Amino acid sequence: MVQVNNNTPIVLRVKFYKKGSLQYISHLDLVRTMMKVIVRAKLPLWYTEGFNPKPKLTFAAPLSIGTESMCEYMDIRLTEKIPTAIAKERLNANMTDEMQATEVYYPGEKLTALKWLAYEITLEIKDATPELAEKINSVLESEELQVFKKTKSGEALVNIKPLIKSASARVAGQRIMISCILSADPSAFLNPEYVIKVLKEKCGILSDDNLLEERYSIMRTNAYKENMTLFS
Amino acid sequence: MQKNDNISGILKSVSKPGRYIGGEYNSIIKNKADIKCRFAFAFPDTYEIGMSNLGVRILYDVLNKESDIWCERVYAPWPDMIEKMEQYAIPLSSVESGDPVRDFDLIGFSLQYELCYTTALRMLKLSGIPMWSKDRCESDPIIIAGGPCVYNAEPVAEFFDLINVGEGEEVLVEISRLYIEMKEDGSYSREAFLHKAASTIEGVYVPAFYDVSYNDDGTIKEYRPIFDDIPTKIKKRIISDLDKVSYPEKLVMPYIETVHDRIVLEVYRGCIRGCRFCQAGMVYRPIREKSPETLCKAAKCLYENTGYDEISLISLSISDYSKLRELTDGLLEWTDDAHVSLSLPSLRLDSFSEELMEKVTSVRTGGLTFAPEAGTQRLRDVINKNVTEDDLKRTIGIAFRGGKNNVKLYFMSGLPTERDEDIVGIADTAKTVVDCYFALPKTERPKGGVSVTISVACFIPKPFTPFQWEKQDSLEELERKQKLLKESITDRRIRYTYHDAKVSRLEGVLARGDRKLAKAIALAVDEGSIFDAWDEYFDYERWVSVLERSGIDTDFYTTRGYAEDETLPWDIIDAGVTKAYLLRERKKAYAAETTPSCAEHCNGCGANKLGGKNVWCK
Repeated sequence: MVQVNNNTPIVLRVKFYKKGSLQYISHLDLVRTMMKVIVRAKLPLWYTEGFNPKPKLTFAAPLSIGTESMCEYMDIRLTEKIPTAIAKERLNANMTDEMQATEVYYPGEKLTALKWLAYEITLEIKDATPELAEKINSVLESEELQVFKKTKSGEALVNIKPLIKSASARVAGQRIMISCILSADPSAFLNPEYVIKVLKEKCGILSDDNLLEERYSIMRTNAYKENMTLFS
Repeated sequence: MQKNDNISGILKSVSKPGRYIGGEYNSIIKNKADIKCRFAFAFPDTYEIGMSNLGVRILYDVLNKESDIWCERVYAPWPDMIEKMEQYAIPLSSVESGDPVRDFDLIGFSLQYELCYTTALRMLKLSGIPMWSKDRCESDPIIIAGGPCVYNAEPVAEFFDLINVGEGEEVLVEISRLYIEMKEDGSYSREAFLHKAASTIEGVYVPAFYDVSYNDDGTIKEYRPIFDDIPTKIKKRIISDLDKVSYPEKLVMPYIETVHDRIVLEVYRGCIRGCRFCQAGMVYRPIREKSPETLCKAAKCLYENTGYDEISLISLSISDYSKLRELTDGLLEWTDDAHVSLSLPSLRLDSFSEELMEKVTSVRTGGLTFAPEAGTQRLRDVINKNVTEDDLKRTIGIAFRGGKNNVKLYFMSGLPTERDEDIVGIADTAKTVVDCYFALPKTERPKGGVSVTISVACFIPKPFTPFQWEKQDSLEELERKQKLLKESITDRRIRYTYHDAKVSRLEGVLARGDRKLAKAIALAVDEGSIFDAWDEYFDYERWVSVLERSGIDTDFYTTRGYAEDETLPWDIIDAGVTKAYLLRERKKAYAAETTPSCAEHCNGCGANKLGGKNVWCK
């Protein structure tokens, strides 16, 4: 059925977290999941025109498998404004504990204003010593960080250093924590897994033969605009 | 610490980790303190396939409606995950709680097709549970099998403690209740429990309680129950009234893409047609329909609880549903506005109408699939597939005028009485479809040309069908016919795909096998067989080798043909349809005589003795 849709959609922004087991869900699967969440939540959804009308969802900076996040952003298109508190309540009732909206609002800025993302990387490794943290810091501070990176034309050796705004490691109990801010610009997006990859190569940590005892986790913690003010 | 934290390193190293995490919306978590029976519903294939299975969805819901039973799901890990689990000594666990499967009380395997047997047994090994029923001790869970394969589960019977024959909604709850009761009053032991289940619950088959003896030629002499109070034949269970049986109101929502990721409405059970090769059409009798009111209510409820944008109406032949118009009209009252589309997976050539096509494709375009099954009218009469070439032409005309230009046709080769002209007839039938396209005036043809795909399966004689005694074509003969068909197709618009004859050979052995096969199956599992239904893991050479080393002559189960007076491995089961009826149908097949559908005439199949509220048999 072809539906005529004269109204311009109203954009509703959802900031949500996606953590725990849900780090293993791909971006494509997240989109599919959210499509059903917004239907169950009975929001006044705006549908695309044409032969096969669908709701439209837009996400900022897709999260890759293996990364958790406290700051995901999704834009939903509505046919009418509804109170944000109601939208938040209904969305959360239709998602599980590991994925919940923290803020729901009608945004003033486009998703593309998001340029930098902060991550906390936790290394659970046997020798989480100040010496190792020091070594990691010296690697991260090098002039150049060459790594084989997927590009549009296959794999290439790329210097990822310019894509790292800041990065520093410290010892926290039995672990090493690395705080970093990486580029989220679609044309120069840096997946934090590349930081892990560099450290695996240069510091010899996280062996693949001991997956139960040597492991890491990544949490996306904050989003920034170009001028390093918080994105919202 | 969260459920999957300790294995995060492993999850990051395997393909599709989303298969293993659980935590899906609508999945059921219960407080262990309230639970008296933990039931693991095990599906011997991947998460994506298992999550699509309607039987699992229904039984998961039924068991979890009991407050003191917690049913959780278990799927087969992909080989990359299995390798890691074995390397790090991680036992197979359930999706919901992540608890090891071996700690459950009851484990129910759903056996959907013969090629899943090795996967099921590998899952037991991964759980640390002995593979053979006789090797299990008091602390091991009770291992149950159910599903369509149990109409002849003899090849795997000795691996299971208990087999649920027929529909499981009532039986599984009764089994669980008996387990709880005997645990509570202290009378539980494996033997006592199995004995009581076999003697008091209809539809329960405990293989260990039946001694099988053989004649010198390898055929079965007899099944002898070792107790007086257990049935000599296990009568399958059916649900009497499908409007009253519980149907899920919620579905577990997979995070990752599954095979059938949509709402599935089961419209009726059974089939009025009586195609002579079709096991499902025989063993799901008698026909029991749901009312359109029940179905419409269920559909709305499922939509609200899932958010799916597609509802699939399923049954063996949806256009035979006596109230199809009321049902589709009832659904279309709200589905269009909600942007929900209807789909029908099974359509018969003789009952396909413009109106039906209009209703099911209001949102979607694409192709249509039909199953003429055989290439000539004579052979279609032999198999009682009551469709004609005129039906095909009429239907294809409707499809083309409705904008479909992609037609898929299903056939079988190796059918009883088949001659080479029947094989060539498959190519001719496909050509007829192409010709139908060009016979249309240019303005009425769908854009983009026409494409016809013919998919040809190898016929496998199945238990409880009129063809259960037939010879299966040899591997060489099947491959010769595949080649003949390939050479008979001259039109480039016809695409030809066919099943691997080697796979069909093994399926044939397992489908009509007896308990003598168990040793070979166990050996195949020990030597690495798993996911036999997956091309990349099917190892025919290994199967040939283990069967040979176990002293099995595979011709015995395939090309031999079974005698009409021989005791069949599946004679231990009473599936409703009688042997007399199957024999009558077999004779009619050889005379190329058709049998009318149940809607026209009662053919006395015998399934009506099982009872059940239904439209056709009174």
